[in-house]
Amino acid sequence: MPSRLTKIGCILLVGLASSLALADAVVVVSAQSPVSTLTRSELADIYLGRTNRFHGGQPAMPVDQRENSPAYVAFYRNYLGQTPAQIKMHWSRLIFTGRGQPPRSLADHQAMADFVAGQATAIGYLDDAYVDERLRVVAID
Amino acid sequence: MHRLVEPGTLFMGLALLALAAIWLVTWNLAAREQSAADRRAAVLAADMAGTYEAQVVRALREIDTTLKLVRYSLDERPPQVVLDELSQQDMLPPALLFEVRLSDAEGNVIASTHGPSHTNDTTPVAGQEGLRVELHHQATSAQDSRLAFHRSLSENGQQAPGWVSVLVSAEYFVSGYEPDTLEKQGVLALAGEEGIFLVRRTGETVHTGEQIDYAHLLEGNSGLEQPARVSISEWDGVPRYLVARPLFEFPIAIVVGLSQNEQMAAAAELRHTYYWRAMLVSCVALAVLTLLGRLSWKLRRAQTKVLEERLDHARRAEYLAFHDNLTGLPNRAYFSRLLTKGMQHARRYDKPLTLLFLDLDRFKAINDSLGHDTGDELLREVSQRLGRAVRESDTVARLGGDEFVILLPEITEPNQINQVADKILASVSTPFTLVGQEFRITVSIGIARYPADGEDEQTLIKHADVAMYHAKEEGKNNAQYYSEQLKTDSLERLALESSLRKALERQELLLYYQSKLDMASGRVIGMEALLRWQHPELGPILPKQFIPLAEENGLIVPIGRWVIYTACRQNVAWQKAGFPALSMAVNLSARQFLDDGLLRDIKGALQASGMAPELLEVEITESMMMQDMPKAVRVLQELRGIGVRIAIDDFGTGYSSLSKLQAFPLDTIKIDGSFIHDLLDNAGDRSLTEAIIDLGKNLGLTVVAEGVESAAHVEYLRRHACDQIQGFYMHEPQPAEEAALSMKKWFGSESTS
Repeated sequence: MPSRLTKIGCILLVGLASSLALADAVVVVSAQSPVSTLTRSELADIYLGRTNRFHGGQPAMPVDQRENSPAYVAFYRNYLGQTPAQIKMHWSRLIFTGRGQPPRSLADHQAMADFVAGQATAIGYLDDAYVDERLRVVAID
Repeated sequence: MHRLVEPGTLFMGLALLALAAIWLVTWNLAAREQSAADRRAAVLAADMAGTYEAQVVRALREIDTTLKLVRYSLDERPPQVVLDELSQQDMLPPALLFEVRLSDAEGNVIASTHGPSHTNDTTPVAGQEGLRVELHHQATSAQDSRLAFHRSLSENGQQAPGWVSVLVSAEYFVSGYEPDTLEKQGVLALAGEEGIFLVRRTGETVHTGEQIDYAHLLEGNSGLEQPARVSISEWDGVPRYLVARPLFEFPIAIVVGLSQNEQMAAAAELRHTYYWRAMLVSCVALAVLTLLGRLSWKLRRAQTKVLEERLDHARRAEYLAFHDNLTGLPNRAYFSRLLTKGMQHARRYDKPLTLLFLDLDRFKAINDSLGHDTGDELLREVSQRLGRAVRESDTVARLGGDEFVILLPEITEPNQINQVADKILASVSTPFTLVGQEFRITVSIGIARYPADGEDEQTLIKHADVAMYHAKEEGKNNAQYYSEQLKTDSLERLALESSLRKALERQELLLYYQSKLDMASGRVIGMEALLRWQHPELGPILPKQFIPLAEENGLIVPIGRWVIYTACRQNVAWQKAGFPALSMAVNLSARQFLDDGLLRDIKGALQASGMAPELLEVEITESMMMQDMPKAVRVLQELRGIGVRIAIDDFGTGYSSLSKLQAFPLDTIKIDGSFIHDLLDNAGDRSLTEAIIDLGKNLGLTVVAEGVESAAHVEYLRRHACDQIQGFYMHEPQPAEEAALSMKKWFGSESTS
């Protein structure tokens, strides 16, 4: 028993740790999208509004989860190395100077999964638990 | 030399000019750069203000549009539903930055794009129309401060009272802050009409809610397109190119400012560079000019040196030109100047002046016998002694040879002059030691005084010279004053001397002949040739007047030669004319006697005339024999050797020891006429005459009495057995022709027979 309990505890701890890390933030596109890999800088360019196309030339429509949600924070920290405040300041400058609009914001993982699955040009991020056959996980170099 | 300015001044001036030019150009450049930078910054600030204004206006319009859209969209549905639908349709500004709210008349939030978490924090004032702006200031964090924009729902009267609001982070309005252009001290700000900064950003720092003087901020602000002006920002004290402009549609003013220091930094740096370069160039210019100045100074110094050397050389040359290089005394040329000056001075101030003319006695003899080097040494010594014998103010000069002159200014009193002269005489006559030999030399001094003895230099020198000759005549080693009498004498002398030189060639000299009688027979047995000078203007001149002169200048030698030749020729001529062979006496002078050519001349004359040597008798004086006895004896013996007879003339006047006569080869003694003249009145003369006659007899010599003037003389001499007589009583001296006539009378019977 004790060993079982311990095992369960361990699993719980590992799960918690991984969820706190990046386990639940994978970059996904629609399964119909030809995109399968992206570099970090390509990803950053798309999410920071510097470009609205993938490297292959297809239109790209980035989508965010709700601001300050764990997925949002994790995504920006892990892939772009930015804090929410920095992201906010970035978009603040772009919007104010009229040079762009921030990605559309969706309520949760499920909404993200549904939206991306329905849009061939969309790109989003979500917990890998929500990845289904409609979606493709994009490998980030 | 001084045509231009001094090189030092010149190079200093050039240096100053160069520096002035360098710094003027530098200041000018810096000032231009400064003003260009100033203009750029002012224009940049104005441009940025324009951009910022446009951005703010657009942002505000978007917000206002959203407010109007939400108000328009409200219908019977719950407000939250309406908001959600609008959000769904992307009709609201990004939720990332903007929150849209609805609140009721009391200010309670009834719907929001950001959920119910936000409490009621706004109390819009009822009844206000249009867009209202409100700062939700968070004292703790400027980042969390938000600006709220409100519009009344009841504005058009169709809705229930309430408010629609858009809230956005205050930072949003200053997110256009470009660090590249605004740098760290620039400013972007929105100012509210109520006198606060809604938001202000400088660098990375954002402030909200600061109090400001809104009117003052906008005061004197430039219009559109006008460059900004610098002012000190009241909130942080930074000087800025500031533009503050109220917006046309909204109760807000935008503020854009560029820090003056930052904008001018580049210019300041450039200016710094310019100054630094100018400093460098100045140093180089100074160094070059200093170098040039130094070179020029050296060159100048070298020139000066050359010039000084030339001057030295010129001075030396002048010294040499005006000083005797043997003694260092002023020479004739310099003395002439000094005398001229001295006389000018004497004339102007009516002062006397005395000139001494000095000539060393017997200097020529010393020079000839001891050599020129010794002579020069002697002259140096004498010049030093003369210098010591006179005062500092007196001038000693050497005219050349052994002639010196001394100028005594302001002295004419004879006793003073005598003192000086005595001192000189004593000083010079002190024995010398030269070439290891001690001997003495004396000096003769002639004295002439200005103005009595001459009023110009030439005359004064000449008269001093005349006086010096007089001193020589007075026995040397003495000083004589010039007098008018001396002048007369010397003039005659000069005239004689010059005409004597020509007398021979002009045949003005002639011989007179005086007979000599044999006491026993009373017959003429010989003649004495006597020299006469028939001067064309002065008439006949006696030998005692010109013989000393001829002795002195050496003319006696050719004259004496002429006498011997003429006398011999005459003697033979008379013999050929049939007269008996008579003896012929010829007088020799002292110089002639010692002349090396004497024997040659006599032999030549005898040979040329064919006269028998025994008929020729040379007459010399005691003093001539005593002057240089060994030589005299030798000459007389040589004459004796060729058969010529020798007589001693004027015997008795020289007081020479009678016994010495034995040493000489003599034939005749002639008693001096002065003894015969006083013979009858003076017992002394009588006894002397008798003694001479006795001496002659004892020595086996012929005794002749000269100057016999009376029968009583003849009687006395006959009684004392004098051999021969000569004198006016018998026959006067006569020229050759008259003598021939007389001889005809004396020998008439014999010659014709």
